Amino acid sequence: MFFATTLALAAMRPSTARAQTDYFNTDAGRPVRIEDAYALERRGFELQVAPLRLERSTGGQYRWGIEPELAYGIFPRTQLEVGFPLAWIDAGIGRRTSGLAGVDVSLLHNLNVETRIPALAIAADVLLPAGKLGPDRAYPSLKGIATKTFSWARFHLNGQYTFGDAPGEQPGSTSMLVGAQVVEVARWLGGVAVDRTFPLRSVLVTGEIYAQEGLDEDAMTEWNATVGSRYQLSPRWALDAGIGRRLTGADRVWSLTVGGAVAFGLPWSR
Amino acid sequence: MSVCLSACIKSTRRRGRAMLLALGATLSTTVAPDAAHAQWSTTYETFYLQAPHNWVFRNNYQGADRLFNAFDYGHAILYETLWTKPDAPASALEEKIYNKLTREVLVRPPRVPLEEAAIEIKYAQLAPEAKVMFDWSHILHRQIYDVLADERIAQAAKDREVQRLIDYYKTRPDVAFSSKPKSMKLMQEQPFSLAFREKYPRFNGLIWGYHWLQVGLYEPLIVGTTPEARQAGVRATVARFWQMLEQPPTSLPYQMPMTAAVAPAFAARYPEAAIIFDNLHSMHDVVSDILTNPSVPRNRKRAEIMRAAARFRDDTSYVMPVAAWRTMSLAMGVENMGGPAVNFLTALPTPSVTRGAVMQHDDATGKMIGMKTGAMTGAMAGMDHSQMDMGTTPPVVPPAGAGKTPPVDHAAMGHGAPARDAVRDTANTDANSMGGAHAMPGMMDLHMRMLHDPGIRRRVMADTAMRRLMTESMATMPAEHQAMMADMLRADSLDANRVVPATTVPKKKTAAKAAKPAAPRKDPMTGMDHSRMAVPPRKK
Repeated sequence: MFFATTLALAAMRPSTARAQTDYFNTDAGRPVRIEDAYALERRGFELQVAPLRLERSTGGQYRWGIEPELAYGIFPRTQLEVGFPLAWIDAGIGRRTSGLAGVDVSLLHNLNVETRIPALAIAADVLLPAGKLGPDRAYPSLKGIATKTFSWARFHLNGQYTFGDAPGEQPGSTSMLVGAQVVEVARWLGGVAVDRTFPLRSVLVTGEIYAQEGLDEDAMTEWNATVGSRYQLSPRWALDAGIGRRLTGADRVWSLTVGGAVAFGLPWSR
Repeated sequence: MSVCLSACIKSTRRRGRAMLLALGATLSTTVAPDAAHAQWSTTYETFYLQAPHNWVFRNNYQGADRLFNAFDYGHAILYETLWTKPDAPASALEEKIYNKLTREVLVRPPRVPLEEAAIEIKYAQLAPEAKVMFDWSHILHRQIYDVLADERIAQAAKDREVQRLIDYYKTRPDVAFSSKPKSMKLMQEQPFSLAFREKYPRFNGLIWGYHWLQVGLYEPLIVGTTPEARQAGVRATVARFWQMLEQPPTSLPYQMPMTAAVAPAFAARYPEAAIIFDNLHSMHDVVSDILTNPSVPRNRKRAEIMRAAARFRDDTSYVMPVAAWRTMSLAMGVENMGGPAVNFLTALPTPSVTRGAVMQHDDATGKMIGMKTGAMTGAMAGMDHSQMDMGTTPPVVPPAGAGKTPPVDHAAMGHGAPARDAVRDTANTDANSMGGAHAMPGMMDLHMRMLHDPGIRRRVMADTAMRRLMTESMATMPAEHQAMMADMLRADSLDANRVVPATTVPKKKTAAKAAKPAAPRKDPMTGMDHSRMAVPPRKK
């Protein structure tokens, strides 16, 4: 029996978490996949130190990984981010392997601040073929994001499309299947998240539901749901935790994610 | 293979188009129909300047730092309530929210700086640019606290670091307040002005109390000469803030606290920062007035806020000289602003104007030229400043038997707070403003009678403004009297400079009651030739 199963924080996506400074600005995957339309502050850095994701499949297998990331507010309303997903794979019968599962580079640009018009953003992302467990080719994707805030809750809409052929379809490809399976790349993804903030406690509670479809032509649409929370531990540190489940398909996995991010800035004035 | 690839690509493209259409449809349904008329705002935030002193104030002065977090909540919930509940009764802010703030939020303040966008949700959507202006200035506020609270930094290095912070602040001219002083006309003589203070006097006083502490807390960090003194000073200043909440609105400030009056040492050392903070606090009041005043239609609120914000950012609108700003700040009367932030007596000062009164000042000199709204109280009561063209023409002498107190040139007197220029003018214009040269012996008589009282001496020495006025007025006295006065005042200075510890701040007392009985000491007036001064015999 061969479990070419995965992984990591980057489990279901090519795009890495969008790093932002505090608990109020949600990051993709921290803990929910659907994120808000705001970029990291100009001149700010955020380091996702050790975001952990643990999954339990229907068969009882556990898979886990971490994805350190560094984001920088490179321009007004624009952030550049680099992530390094590290995967641990249980291949069955004592066969295990681990390694870098690609390098994820993304750029998010917030188009506007929310007024009566929702905040809008676009993001470009590419998952590069790097590392022992990386994908067999680069996978670029584009994403659109909208955030609308009401007095009682805030909503985020995300829609993403990934370009490129499914793994193994490229003529002459000899890439490892493992690579493609470690980082599951969705052809498209769409979803909505809702969150409510408790500002005096610096806590945000959030939930999401999203659908995605794999790169394969015959891939089925999968529905997923996640709930979680973000918490401002100190002016520099924000923590997050969440639990999710795949609602459709043969392998209705449970997932748990826990992470922490530290923010800092540039020490020079200009 | 190639057929398969081609099919895949076509399929992919079809899905891509479908996906983009779906996304577009989603976004279009999210955007409200009237959104085309709404403001497309592209303001943004910038991270604070990274430095070793980051968050030092939070670590070294935790209680005070947390209060500032609570202040953020107070400002935010105020704007959100004013904007989202324009028809709510005044009690919604004056009682319900005020009580929540003073009995819950301030008592158990948040651990970390708050995300105001999560509190003032709709206000932030109305005027995101103004919100970022406030946020950016609050960052400067906090970073300067950090520098002044960092015991590892020498004073000269602190000065350089504060300047570096100000320079960094100015790298965002699109959101930075001007460091040029602005006339109070910009804040309180606009068509929408005064609405907030009139409808919500308690809440307005609370906001001024916040601002008093926000600028006042710099003072103990400046004047404290040791880490222990700074700690004690900060505790005392925080305790003073709590004292202001005891009997609202009477015990809260009656005027917007001006940094040059409340924290004169800070304002003298870092005038640019002090001016920025005064502009910031003025803008807070302006936004409150715009949101409160029904004469500004709801569809004009944003435009008015943006117009005011632009005026507070530029270096040309309503600008006055720095010296005039200092004079104006002091002339407004520190006693009306909650009093000085350090070296205060146990009792709160007695305001000399009615709550929320609007003084008018000459923009070139800062001298008071009249009262637009409200009136003087106490010894100043009954003066009709509105008809006094003070400072530009000689005072009008009322007809005999008019039954009113003759107008007095307060502009020349510099009352309320003795600016150096004002004092100099007092000496120069005595003949006009004080009834001629014959009044001088009377004034000296009054001085000596007052200073003979140890309680008054202590109070004079405790109030930086009064002390400066007294010191400067001594320059006009005969040399031997100068020496006597100096001895007399010096004898009390040690007691007056003693900081009131936080734990010993009692409920309100009169100044006389608060004054501890002084240890017997040599009469400082011994040897003075009282016969030349027409001072009556001292009571034994």
